[in-house]
Amino acid sequence: MTEPVDVADHRPAGPGPADRGWSFSQWFRADASEPVRRNLGLVIVLIVLYAIGAWSRPDIFLHADRLWSNELTVLTLASSIGVVAIGMTFVIISGGIDLSVGALLALASVWSTTVATQSYGAATMVLAALLVGTIAGVVNGTLIAYGRMAPFIATLAMMVAARGLAQKISGKTTQVVSVHAITDIAQRKVLGLPLLVVIFGVVAVLAWVLLNRTTFGRRSAAIGGNGEAARLAGINVRRTQVLIYALSGLCCGIAAIMVTAQANSGSSDHGNLYELQAIAAVIIGGTALAGGRGTIVGSVLGVLVFTQITNLFIVNNLAIEYQLIAQGVIIVAAVLVQQFRVSSLRRGPA
Amino acid sequence: MSTSETMSEAPILSLTGIVKTFPGVRALDGVELEVLAGEVHCLLGQNGAGKSTLIKVLAGVHRPDAGSMVWRGEEVSFNSPLAATKAGISTIYQELDLVDELTVAENIFLGHEQAAGGFIRRGQMRAGAKAVLDRLGHGDIPATRKVGKLPAAAKQIVSMGRALSHDAQLLVMDEPSAVLAHDEVANLFRVIRDLTSRGIAVIYITHRLEEIREIGDRVTVLKDGRTSAVNLPARSTGTDQLVSRMTGRTIEYIFPARTERAEAPAGPPLLEVVDLSRAGEFVDVSLTVRAGEIVGIAGLVGSGRSELLETIYGARPAQSGEVRLDGRRLPPGRVPAAVRSGLGLAPEERKSQALILEDPIYRNITLATFAHHARGGITRASLEQTVAAEIADDLALQPRGVRRPVKTLSGGNQQKVVLGRWLLDPAVEPGSGAARRRASRGTRLLLLDEPTRGVDVGARADLYRVIRRLADEGMGVLMVSSEVPEVLGLADRVLVMREGRVLREAPAAELDEETVLDLVMAGSLLEVDSP
Amino acid sequence: MTVRVTNRYSAGRRRLLTAVAVVAAGVVLTSCTSNTPKSSNSGSTSSSSSTGAAATGKKVRILFSGPVADHGFLAAINSFAKAEAAKYPDVDFKALEAAADAPSQIAAVQTAIAEKPDALIIFPQDGDQLTGVGKAATAAGIPVINLDRKFNDASAYRMFLAGDNYKVGFNAGTYIGQKLKGKPNSVIGEITGIATLALTKERSQGFKDALAIYGLKVSRQVNASFTVQSGQQAMANLLAAAPHLDAVFNHDDDQNIGSEAAAAQAGRKEFFIVGTACSNTMLKHIKAGDARIEADVTFTPAISATAVSMARLIAQGRSMPDLAGLPMPSNMLIDSELVTKDNVAQFEKFGWD
Repeated sequence: MTEPVDVADHRPAGPGPADRGWSFSQWFRADASEPVRRNLGLVIVLIVLYAIGAWSRPDIFLHADRLWSNELTVLTLASSIGVVAIGMTFVIISGGIDLSVGALLALASVWSTTVATQSYGAATMVLAALLVGTIAGVVNGTLIAYGRMAPFIATLAMMVAARGLAQKISGKTTQVVSVHAITDIAQRKVLGLPLLVVIFGVVAVLAWVLLNRTTFGRRSAAIGGNGEAARLAGINVRRTQVLIYALSGLCCGIAAIMVTAQANSGSSDHGNLYELQAIAAVIIGGTALAGGRGTIVGSVLGVLVFTQITNLFIVNNLAIEYQLIAQGVIIVAAVLVQQFRVSSLRRGPA
Repeated sequence: MSTSETMSEAPILSLTGIVKTFPGVRALDGVELEVLAGEVHCLLGQNGAGKSTLIKVLAGVHRPDAGSMVWRGEEVSFNSPLAATKAGISTIYQELDLVDELTVAENIFLGHEQAAGGFIRRGQMRAGAKAVLDRLGHGDIPATRKVGKLPAAAKQIVSMGRALSHDAQLLVMDEPSAVLAHDEVANLFRVIRDLTSRGIAVIYITHRLEEIREIGDRVTVLKDGRTSAVNLPARSTGTDQLVSRMTGRTIEYIFPARTERAEAPAGPPLLEVVDLSRAGEFVDVSLTVRAGEIVGIAGLVGSGRSELLETIYGARPAQSGEVRLDGRRLPPGRVPAAVRSGLGLAPEERKSQALILEDPIYRNITLATFAHHARGGITRASLEQTVAAEIADDLALQPRGVRRPVKTLSGGNQQKVVLGRWLLDPAVEPGSGAARRRASRGTRLLLLDEPTRGVDVGARADLYRVIRRLADEGMGVLMVSSEVPEVLGLADRVLVMREGRVLREAPAAELDEETVLDLVMAGSLLEVDSP
Repeated sequence: MTVRVTNRYSAGRRRLLTAVAVVAAGVVLTSCTSNTPKSSNSGSTSSSSSTGAAATGKKVRILFSGPVADHGFLAAINSFAKAEAAKYPDVDFKALEAAADAPSQIAAVQTAIAEKPDALIIFPQDGDQLTGVGKAATAAGIPVINLDRKFNDASAYRMFLAGDNYKVGFNAGTYIGQKLKGKPNSVIGEITGIATLALTKERSQGFKDALAIYGLKVSRQVNASFTVQSGQQAMANLLAAAPHLDAVFNHDDDQNIGSEAAAAQAGRKEFFIVGTACSNTMLKHIKAGDARIEADVTFTPAISATAVSMARLIAQGRSMPDLAGLPMPSNMLIDSELVTKDNVAQFEKFGWD
């Protein structure tokens, strides 16, 4: 059926000089309002959370300076899981899933905080974490693309194995960091913002550009939208898949440094349940689990919603069970709102 | 029970003045339809003429805004598909709604399982399914087999079996032959004749005019949501008349005239395929395509033709033999290399193999070339849109506007999007009037697999013109089709394939439909002269 | 068509870069897994040999079954047991394959029963689920030492041996109470372990009871999960919720590594912390006085060493002379002790990483 959809003709008015180059304003313009419109549900949830905060803890939520410092705490707590969720966004958009993120974070944190690594100094520690994450991601991607394993299986195996390797290397002990340049990462501020939050922001912006403005992002979305069509259009699907999982691994490496700095240690327990939290954030952020489409902004908002809920419960001195219930309710509510919006768009203007 | 008795004069179903509007469109605008018990009533019309909406009204999916529907002498209004099924009207959609993971018996009784106390009675269901399949003359389909493992033709029979299990008195079939090979269609017709001889009425929707003459009793033609002709006699109404009722055009316009060309130029042909083989698919196939030439491969599903095309393209690795473009050998099994060398494929299954349905038109058009439009890995959406818009204009894509989702387009226009994908010249900036690739660069050889499947007559003519024009501009085209008239009408040179072998190669002008059909089906092998 | 030329060129360069990166990665990574300079611990444990029960008796075979040690405390449980057994020439000690979950531990213990050891030490994954095999072993005439997580039926063990979680909380509460007494408006935080565990509830109850003696109460309780990261997150949120704190009781020293870091990141120093279980890291901080942690309460993995020596005596049919001729007890809770800068030296041998 070809029911006409009432869409204005958006075709550019014709070729002109503007098509030959690009300017930043033009570059961002097309999608400027897109994230807000698409993630309206999450924005509403966040507003409701702030309203609850203002009602239950006016001493925090209605005082600019205390609200600011509380929100900086929330952003800082969201930063490491946020970076992981951003990597996960690419994976899910390409139609895959990465269950190994929490374990890769643990492995990278442990590998970069052994006594031997610490003896080489901060730069080596950072490099080790990034490399461990990326290489493990390449292994994931290779198993999936060239070994033709289901992403769920391949990354499940990696999840178990990486956690085990992390325990083996650390001897199940908590490896305290004595290199101050690393622990400083969690304490330093840049322009009044915690460095961790700045890292989170930079990763998010880079990821946005990567997803929406590069050939790599386009390939990732095409593979998730219709893998066979992408392959028959000449896209190197396998190589792109390896890169996608490598990117997810790299994000785990970055997050490992962040967690190591925050927790002042490397441990095989780091990143516990990060895979579930990241997947949940990406999904409520509006990325289709089947792949094809999704947004970085949505994933970031998804992480913020979860972190804000936890914060709200703790400042109100409520026990953990209420938090878990609330998180479940929010997942369902946010997804329902998204679906409602999608189906009302599909029905067209009534 | 004789035929004259069952074909009583009182219609089993009659619709008058059916109107159905959707936001922004009047899909049905006073449709009339009269179906007699025991007849095959054909419903004809281009895509968008309202056939699908009409079917859904009959099936209880849509409720009409106005008009009356009389079923077996009573005014009815179905408020759900279940109500329609219960009244005795069963619909078999083009995309069969079978569950691949369930068995034949489970599918036949889906929704009304034979159960006792919540436990499904498998034995009884198997026996019931067997009885239904026997009635359809297909007791050979195993009731315990999973439907996903059946061929398309058998799935069709299972769908009909489900309808019969509901005691259907009217069967609505939406393009049942589209996914079937020639001999399977013959079998389907046998089953339909058997049903109608028992008084069951069939509404048969098809794009293939020759089928109407073979199976139909009467024809109703839809055009733009109205009935443009009612109850034409199926056997005696001429094709030109039917086509003009659907389109207002006559049939001569369908195939563009062949371009007379001088004798083949010297030098290697554009595409050379030498002794290409894949076990179980095709054996020692050799062929050539020259620039500006359309070569057609006639063959049924299973003849190895689609597999051959995909192997040439690198989507399947060849086991022996080689493919050369301009005398340079292509690495086997590597699509990106083939695309870089100048090959393009419009695959058989448009929706599952070619398009990203949720994406806008322009992103589908530039799916193969966005990397070339990019600078330093940064894509340029506005440039892509401009280029895609030029292509869309060039191919007369309807409706205009390249940012709408490709899924909103009709089949013919979707196919144009797939063709358009291979027409972009990344080296030429838009606005220079040469966005389309020239013959000497970019895509130089197009592989088309069933280019007009599911495309209505009017849009087909459009596609034929586009393909011919591309050839005239120097593109080589290798086309596969199971519709013999299409191959004969469009191609310059024809190869006939059966069971993985090329049986005959000749200029299209030297072949006629009967000869090719004879070869394509299990015809006489006496005339075979191997290429 | 410069695009293609560039592509080909950059493809070559990319390959080279990749090769260099891979080699570099290999060099860096392989040199980083070594943890060798780590000080080896746990060999120095000495059990109280003044009981007179140390005299060599008949040769006994003792089997030990514990959960997979996925973090420091549990790992130390295994190593303390092994070290203690090595000290007795009359003990033939074997640790069974560590169990990842209750069903696999049940299977392991069933196999062990067939071996007919002289005593069996079980540190259950789950006390309730392992009660059955505890009974089976007892019925087979094997004395069972039930360590830490209690069977739900007293007939399933010969001796139940555990640290006193109530006293853990009570001692911490007492320390904080004495320091803050007379200041009823003090803001006291508590970072618990996994909220659903019985031991967490017991520690919280003891803490609450002790504070009540001094007219104090817990202002804010935040749940963590015995991991460093959860301790960091819990403290960060706790600090956001409470602009001023006087004291914090942390249920786990591993958690407290994260909590200390969170406090440092927030630049907060106005309060002190009492930790739990005496990890080496925290004992060092207490000794040096360079962190917020001032005191720790013992909940030592060395309890497994006690289990080995008790199992030995029971298996040999002996008792402790100090029991004045009475049999070995059926229940034994090891008291928790308070560790401060003043007495930290004597607890260093119980430290773990």
